[in-house]
Formats: sequence, structure tokens, C-alpha cells
Amino acid sequence: MEKIKQNAFVKKAGFNRIILVGVMLLMYLAFGALTKGNFFGMSRILNIMNYVYFLGFLSLGVTFVIATGGIDFSIGPVMFCCALVSGYSFLTHGVPMAVALVLSVVIGLLFGIFNGYLVAYWKVPPFIVSMASMNIAKGIAAVFTKTQSVSWPQSSDPNGWYRNFVKMGNIPTGLIIFLVAAIICGIILNKTKAGRYILCLGSNKEAVRLSGVDVKKWEMLAYVICGILVGIAAIFFVGAYTTVQPGYGDQYNNEAIAGCVMGGTSMAGGLASIGGTVIGVLIISLLQQGILALGFSKDYQFIITGFIVIAAVYADVSARRRKN
Amino acid sequence: MGEVILTMKGIDKSFPGVHALDHVDLEVRKGEVLALMGENGAGKSTLMKVLTGIYKKDSGTITYEGKEVEFKNTREAQDAGVVIVHQELNMLGHLTVAQNLFIGREFKKGITIDDKKMNEEAKKLFEKLNVDIDPTEKMSNLTVGKQQMCEIAKAVSFDAKVIIFDEPSAALTEAEIEEMFKIIRDLKKKDIAMVYISHRMDEIKVITDRVTVMRDGTYVGTLITKDCTKEDIINMMVGRVIYEDPKTHSAVPADAPVVLKVENLNAGKMVQNVSFELHKGEILGFSGLMGAGRTETARALFGADPKESGDIYINGEKVTINSPEDAVKYGIGYLSEDRKRYGIVVQKTVAENTTMACLYNFMKGIFIDKKKEEKVAQDYVDALATKTPGVDQLVVNLSGGNQQKVVIAKWLARNCDILIFDEPTRGIDVGAKNEIYKLMNKLAAEGKSIIMISSEMTEILRMSDRIVIMCEGKKTGEIDIAEATQENIMNLATREIN
Repeated sequence: MEKIKQNAFVKKAGFNRIILVGVMLLMYLAFGALTKGNFFGMSRILNIMNYVYFLGFLSLGVTFVIATGGIDFSIGPVMFCCALVSGYSFLTHGVPMAVALVLSVVIGLLFGIFNGYLVAYWKVPPFIVSMASMNIAKGIAAVFTKTQSVSWPQSSDPNGWYRNFVKMGNIPTGLIIFLVAAIICGIILNKTKAGRYILCLGSNKEAVRLSGVDVKKWEMLAYVICGILVGIAAIFFVGAYTTVQPGYGDQYNNEAIAGCVMGGTSMAGGLASIGGTVIGVLIISLLQQGILALGFSKDYQFIITGFIVIAAVYADVSARRRKN
Repeated sequence: MGEVILTMKGIDKSFPGVHALDHVDLEVRKGEVLALMGENGAGKSTLMKVLTGIYKKDSGTITYEGKEVEFKNTREAQDAGVVIVHQELNMLGHLTVAQNLFIGREFKKGITIDDKKMNEEAKKLFEKLNVDIDPTEKMSNLTVGKQQMCEIAKAVSFDAKVIIFDEPSAALTEAEIEEMFKIIRDLKKKDIAMVYISHRMDEIKVITDRVTVMRDGTYVGTLITKDCTKEDIINMMVGRVIYEDPKTHSAVPADAPVVLKVENLNAGKMVQNVSFELHKGEILGFSGLMGAGRTETARALFGADPKESGDIYINGEKVTINSPEDAVKYGIGYLSEDRKRYGIVVQKTVAENTTMACLYNFMKGIFIDKKKEEKVAQDYVDALATKTPGVDQLVVNLSGGNQQKVVIAKWLARNCDILIFDEPTRGIDVGAKNEIYKLMNKLAAEGKSIIMISSEMTEILRMSDRIVIMCEGKKTGEIDIAEATQENIMNLATREIN
């Protein structure tokens, strides 16, 4: 029996995750120290968690797309489009709250189908498709709302019950739902046919095709799953902040992708970690709140997440290069 | 005959596991065209790459214009006047002819490129070669033939004294070849030495003065073209002793049913009206030289590439195959020559690759039954004697032979009865090769039917029950193993002299 090197790659992924958790804790302590304990307060923690939920759903969604070797730059604006169109329908057209929430997910789903079909069946590069649908989403939202911001009902309103998804009294329902969603995503990715083929085609699409697998269908499915999760993200966004403005949302693309890639999902495709994505999202959210707590403007955060994406992707690329 | 301009003596070159060139000699004279011939893998291209500095030789000497030289790269070789004209054209379609000719050495006027001067120079060059090409034309608007002329013109513009043509006629029409020959004759008159690599006997007879034959990385001999026949050359090309025992008769019973019948398959230039039958339990060898269209035939049959026409029958029933999905449904498995790109997902485990084509057999509701998957994968690891520490090992960590076994396991797990092995032992070391051979024989004995595409003559003669020979996209013959010899196979694999 010849000696073959034990699977170092999986081991390394586990190791990286441990490091990430360490980084997260250190960041938390550092922000705490810099803000003289201010950062440990309950309200700050709630702020962080509010950010984690919607960003987490975006990041989970884009994890599936990146696993196929693709990319989606439309998630942030599509999330805003979902929140704006469904919210406006509720406010102006008298659509019931429950229907509005379903509508949000359906809009996300439609964008997922649109993106996925163009990428998988028409072979339009994902970069181009998602850049275009980002603008389409912004445009639709602006036209539909006549470029006005939409304020979803407050908790005191009879229709404010949707906010219970984020927090019901003292129960952090958002956290529970997010973790359950993450576990379901993990199961889909690792234990179902869809996940298996999504990861395999991300690694070597032609080999999977030549095995007689309908690769187009599975590739499209990744975008569809992403779309649904983006639609859910919209609910958590308004559940936390209630007000949405047309024309925005791009900044969350970078943060969601940063969370995903930092967690060990490879931009080259074929390798994805839901657990890593969850930790990545926590780190990004901590950073976001930390920077605000230190009194810097949000713009500093753009700079930092920008560099994080580059650093995480560079780390992935150079790890691959070393292996070859 | 002209004086000697270039001598290569005792050139030796090894790659890990392969002795590519074994003390090869070559001599080129001024004003002659020397044909360099040999089967696939004989070492022709390697020798030319050593000459032009792409590879570094292990030993031997190169003497050029009376001085010993060793070019460090193609640039250095070019500057000295040794230029190679590649089979694939290295042209940029969106630039003009003149811009392509002088790429990397543009004429400048201050800091801007002097297109006018380049066009003038290109025009002078074409006039010298008697070629009618407009230097301001966009390269992509030219025919392949004209583009090839530009490649040659570019070579000449380096003030070349030795020009190497690496299968220059592969993509050309008869008329274009004729035009190219005119240029070559012209260059001969200018005392330029040329090496002409080609598989086409008729061209060799028409254009070359001498023929140097290589076989398995060694120098066999040199003949004067006008004094020799096609048979002489083929005998030199294949005259090796076959050590591994060749099959002497077909192991397939005469009444074995036809499992696959292909009729008039057409797919582009590389697959023209190909028809053949495959019997149950048979190993059908597909022989031919590089670019004969064997892989293209297999891919078209398998639905990996689109086909234009042709009927496929499986067990007597006409079937439609438009995608690999269809082919797999009818029990056809394709093992590509390029395993890493088309065969396996290297970043996934042995188990995951084994069940790739039949995952539906391993579902428990919506979940993959990983226990069953691992068990079945382990069964195939045992049955095929795949060397791996476990079925959870990433395939990237396995050797070539064992990767090939994983691909075989994939198709066996899918229960495929027709297996297309495309160069089954490429990149696999000798010991593992024998194992793959044994495995293929065992599969055939168990009733699987195998199409084996191979460029190795020994492999063809050792494994096949029957041999289909292709040349330039057409089937040129079919021989039973009992009648097959290296000579008659090579005869069918090379083009006839018109």
C-alpha cells in the first residue's frame, strides 16, 4: 500500500474556522476595551444581532452561488427591491401583511430564477448577469415606489407582528430562525443531491456533465436558493429597521460576500462552508457595529470590508497556488 | 546538395518516467527540405523544442553554422535565424496583418507605433515571397491558408536560415497547400533550410528532399525521398519489436450480438461518415495518428459534442443521443483521455466520484445515504484494487492509474455496458498500465463491450479484438486482430499518395 498524504485540506478548513472564532472573540474584546465597556451593553448586542440576521441570510444565499464558481452582486439591491415592493404593496395597495411577506420571498425567488437561467442556460457570465440585475432591481423598486422610501409598520401597529420574527419580547426569535436556516442550508449543501452536484460542478463542471448529470439544472438551482434567501433577508431587514429607501443596497453585497469568503468558501467554486459563513457574518457585523461604536462613520466600514474581501480571496488563491 | 547548416548529435532528453529522446541525430542542409517523420510520441516535437530552446537538453550537441550553440529560448533561436512555424496559428485576429507580423518589435515613431512603415515593410516581405496579402487587412478576415502564409512570412522576416514547419498543412485545403509549397520551393532557392513535420505521405513525396524517421525517441535513419516508397518509410516508423504478447486472435465468439451500431456519424471536419459495429464482450481498438478524429468520434457518439447526422443503434434499437445524459441513460460510459479535466472531480472524494453518475441509487428520501455510498465505493476499491487509504480520500491525492480506476468504478457503478476508453493508459506508469489492461480484459470477459481509442501501436495490438483505423476524420479500414500488423495499420492511418 503506497502512502498517501492524509486529507490536509479538510483539516485545514477546520483549523481556519477555529482561528476565525478566535479573531471574532478578540475583536469583541478589543471593541469592548476601546469603548470602555460600552460595547458589552445589551442594546449594542441587539444592534449587532439585527445586523447579523439579514446579512446572514444574504451570505447564506450567496454561499450557494459561490459554491458553483459563480458570483452574485445583485443580492443587496434585490433585498431592497423585495422590501420596497412588498412594503409598498402593503401600505398603498392594501395587501395583507402575510401576503406582503410571501411576496417578498417570491420577488427574491423570481430574481434567482432570472439570474440562474441566464447563467446556466444562456451561459452569460455571472458577473455580468448580476451586475445587470442589480440595476434592474434598483430600477423596479424605484419605479414601483415612485422613488419614495417605504416605512413598514412599527411594533405597536396591529400589523407590526412581522417584527416578532426578529424579536418576540425577550426571545431572540431572529437568532433561532437564522440558526435553523443555517442548519437547513448546511444539510442541503452536504447531504442532498442538490448540494453534492452544486459543489461538484463548482469544482469541475465538465466532468460532472460528462457523467450524465444535468448540470444546468443544478447550477440554476443554486441561484434560485440564493434568491429565496434574499427574499427572507428582506423580511429581517425591515423587521429590524422598518424603513427602506430605493436606490441603495449595494453595500451589503460586499459584506455578504466577505462573510462567505472569510468563512472558507472558495471563490473558485467547489468548496463551501455554511458554518464558516455564519462565523464570517458575525465578524462582519461585529466590525460594523464596532466601527460605529468607536465614533467613525459608516464609510470607514466600506473601506475595511473592501480590503477584507481582497485579503480573503487572496488567501484562498494563494492557498490553491501552493497546493498545485 | 547544399552544405550542412545545422547538426544535432546525440541529443538526449528525459522527463520524469519518460526517456523522450535517446541520443537522436539530425542533420539539415542549406536549401533542402528535410521531412521529420514518426508515429505519435516518437519525439519529433520534443526534438524541435530542444532545438529552439523550449526544452533544455540533458546531453548532446547542436552545431549551427559551424558553431556549437544552445538557445535559451525561442527568442534567442529566432535572433540566430532558427524559427518554428506552429501548427496552431499564433495570430491575433483583431490586429492587421502587418501588426501581427511585427508584434513585439513594432516600428516606432517617437512613442507612437508607425503603422505606415510596418505596412510598407510587410508589403515588401510579401512581394519577396510572391504572396498576395494586403498588410492592412484584419487577420481574422483571412482564410486559414492565408494566415499560415503570414506565419511563414513572419518566420522569413526574422531573417531565418532554418525554418521548422510543425504539421503546417493540417488545417489547409489542397489549393492552400499547393500555394504553401510554392513558397517553400521559393525559399529553397534562397538557400533556406527547412524541417517539415507531417504525417501526410503524399506531401512528403512532393516537397521534401530527404526523410529522417524517428521511433520511440530514437533516430532510425534517413532516406532520400525520391528513392524510397511509402512502405520503406512505414517500415522504419513501426519496425519495433513488440515485447508484450500481442493478441493473435479475437476472443469474441463469432455469433456475439451487436450491442452498438453507429451509421454515418458526422460531426464537423473531424468526423465524416463514420460507421462501425461493436459486439458484446469485444474490445474494439480505434487506431490512427494525432488528429485522425477518434476522440471527436467518441465525443459525438457520447453526446458530449453536437453531431450533424448519423444513426446510433443500441441492441438493435435506434436511439437519440443529444447529451451525455442520454448516452449514460443507454448505458454508455466515456473515459476521457484527459482525466483531470473530463473524468473526475479531483477535489472530491473517491466515494463521491464513484457515485457521480448514479447518485439516484443512493438516496434515502432527499438525503444521500452516505453509508451505502461508502460501502459501494469500498466494494469497487476492492474489486479494482484501487490504491487509496480510504474512500473518503480526495481523488487529487491518488496516482494517475488509481484515478483511472476511480473513473472506471464510476461507470461500473452506473452499470454501463458500453465503455469508451480514450487513451486508457496515458500518463500511467508501466506497472499500473498492466493492471488497467488486465481489468479491461476482465470487463470484456464479463460481457462489457469496450471501445478503446489508443495512439500506442503496442496497446492496440495487445488489447483489441478488432481494429478500426481512422485518418483525417474518415474511417479508412477495419482489421481483425488475426490479420493486423503494424504495417497494415500504419498504411491505413496515413494518407495515400495521390
